[in-house]
Amino acid sequence: MEMAYLAAGLGAGITAIGAGVGIGIIGKGAMEATARQPEATSEIRTSMLISAAFIEGVALFGQVVCFILAIK
Amino acid sequence: MTPTKSLYLTILLLVISFTSVLAASAEENSKQVDVLDKLSNHYYLDFKPVGKIELPRIFWDEDGVSMYMSSSNALESGKYVDTYYETAGLPSEAYPVTYDLARADGTPLKIDLSLSSHLLYFWFAGFILLALAIPLARRYSAGIGRDTEPKGAFQNMMEVFIVFVRDEIALANIGPKKYKKFTPYLITAFFMILIMNMFGLVPWGVSSTADVTVTAALALTTFLLTQLNGSKDHWRHVFWFPGVPAWIRVILTPVEIIGLFTKPFSLTIRLFANMASGKVLIYSIIGLIFIFSGLFGDAVAYGTSWIWVLFALFIYLIKTVVAFLQAYIFTMLSALFIGMAVEEHEHHHDHEHEHVHTA
Repeated sequence: MEMAYLAAGLGAGITAIGAGVGIGIIGKGAMEATARQPEATSEIRTSMLISAAFIEGVALFGQVVCFILAIK
Repeated sequence: MTPTKSLYLTILLLVISFTSVLAASAEENSKQVDVLDKLSNHYYLDFKPVGKIELPRIFWDEDGVSMYMSSSNALESGKYVDTYYETAGLPSEAYPVTYDLARADGTPLKIDLSLSSHLLYFWFAGFILLALAIPLARRYSAGIGRDTEPKGAFQNMMEVFIVFVRDEIALANIGPKKYKKFTPYLITAFFMILIMNMFGLVPWGVSSTADVTVTAALALTTFLLTQLNGSKDHWRHVFWFPGVPAWIRVILTPVEIIGLFTKPFSLTIRLFANMASGKVLIYSIIGLIFIFSGLFGDAVAYGTSWIWVLFALFIYLIKTVVAFLQAYIFTMLSALFIGMAVEEHEHHHDHEHEHVHTA
């Protein structure tokens, strides 16, 4: 039973690494794009939010699984 | 913003594991904050420390439909027992009353139609939305805001939101031909989610969106709307993907069919997990005060409590941003999915000329 807590903690950390790398790459891309074309800022922000929301969705699946492990 | 949120989810899970480990080590201490109890649906409205209002219970079972004005009345009738402590095996002094009722004679409940806190706050959000929308609609149908400038702070503020949802969400994602049909749904979903999220920021309020059944119902609405309005091209892409070799379709069709259902599923989980995690985080941080008092004594707990209160305030501010952001993201992804499904490709263009009058 204690192993479930360990698994939940490790899983949460690994999920956060994945989400962090993914959202970091999106942020990098969006900032570079905004720097090149400042007039397209609002469209870039919208598509950045959409992609970030997709990554966040996958990350949250992982977090929910970890949460269920931790409260089992 | 979003990196902050993933950081805050990381902290959340760290805190949860930390809390549960410490809570397990200090089990005899009854001064705990039961975080999961705060997350779950209740059959009463909690106004600590003033008291609580029990909600009516409606059961359909062997005796037909029976109504009780409160859970206590149902327990007093002797026909029902509180099952929570039997299944969880917890000491009843340290844990709050749950009112998870079952029949005393062991026969199952057919349907439990009892009102619960999440349902009640869902209705409150609906009433507030009606109270905002009906006067606004009256004003516009009287011509204020169409023939003249919008009048007053209320109408101006609402018009900003509504025009934002119409132009930036519906028009941008669905396209100029069909966006008018879906704009009412998107505006309703946006305001409903926003108001429900905001209830989580009010003292004693409960955000219904932190309940997975509520978000699942919202996502199901989007799913039905998407599929019922799907164009011929949408279904062709699902079942007979154009422009690929035939054997690839054997792989592609199941993937596309699964893809239909992962979209509402991810809508459900995203909204639920964001709202629930904010709640858990605040209670976990406040709960650290009680854990410190259990480990090091009351003096240390009083001394360090200001740190945790500041942390909780910080999380509260993030929750305010998340309340708006998640309403926006849910609405925008709904619009995106609807837009992908109703889209018709150029070669299927029928020669109906739609006269879109832009005001």
